[in-house]
Amino acid sequence: MFSISVALQTLREANRLPFPIIGNKNNMINNNDRSVEIILANQLGFEKVAVACSASFAQLFGFPQDRIEDLKTMVGEAFSNAMQHGNKGRSDAKVKVSLQCKDEALIVRVKDEGVGLETVPPVPDIDEIIAQERVITGFGLFLMKGLADEVEFRETRDKGHVVKMTINMKERVKNAEQE
Amino acid sequence: MQNKNDITLEKHGAVMLLDIEGDITAFSEPFLNDAYKDANDQGAGKILLKVGQDAYINSGGIAVLIQVLAQTKRNNQTIGITGLSEHFKKIFNMVGITKFADIHDSVEDGIAALSSA
Repeated sequence: MFSISVALQTLREANRLPFPIIGNKNNMINNNDRSVEIILANQLGFEKVAVACSASFAQLFGFPQDRIEDLKTMVGEAFSNAMQHGNKGRSDAKVKVSLQCKDEALIVRVKDEGVGLETVPPVPDIDEIIAQERVITGFGLFLMKGLADEVEFRETRDKGHVVKMTINMKERVKNAEQE
Repeated sequence: MQNKNDITLEKHGAVMLLDIEGDITAFSEPFLNDAYKDANDQGAGKILLKVGQDAYINSGGIAVLIQVLAQTKRNNQTIGITGLSEHFKKIFNMVGITKFADIHDSVEDGIAALSSA
């Protein structure tokens, strides 16, 4: 398993070198491979590790702070969903987070060992929720979709499900149709 | 991981300040509900929730906050929130919390605004 500390250390060191060198899990290094991958335990608290790693990665590539904050929320929500819904809380399961910087966008994939969403929860309606004082679900997905520039969900060839989110360096103004 | 909140209640005239320490997640539910109940039992008609600037807030925590908003609406109380970073101000606006609670830049601003409401 690729350790997070090695990943972050490699990233930090790369930033001090006169040419862009980024490490990935295979230590294959070149300017076109601006990526990092971490595999984390399916354990409460590790979503913060994924969030911190993602933030460091985005910072390294010059993402503005507001976009980094968006990314942190997206990754935290995707990771929590992977732990709870994908991996069903299984302590032996893993969550894989991969980050790739491409042009002026960052692509983050969060992979679990589940089968994905059977049904997409409706967009939460806060007026209805407050009026009826009912149980609230679906805000995590709502936030991921609202903050990311693109979100895709799909099953993987091996056993698992991945959510792929793309965030651009500059926030675009979304309209209702795009959401 | 921190799974608890220390919530301090402070009365500022007609406003009850609930100062929340720690992350706001689904685990905050019993702590926030207990604090709200205490405030309600003390007859608070105006409530200001103060969130730590560096607090981690996720969708589970937002759901818990919305539960509190629902209770304040049912009890005809006025509620405000302070301590939020610009990012979480945006998030709270996205999910619609700002329709039910005003966001204030500081405790002082929140107390002043709620006192005159």
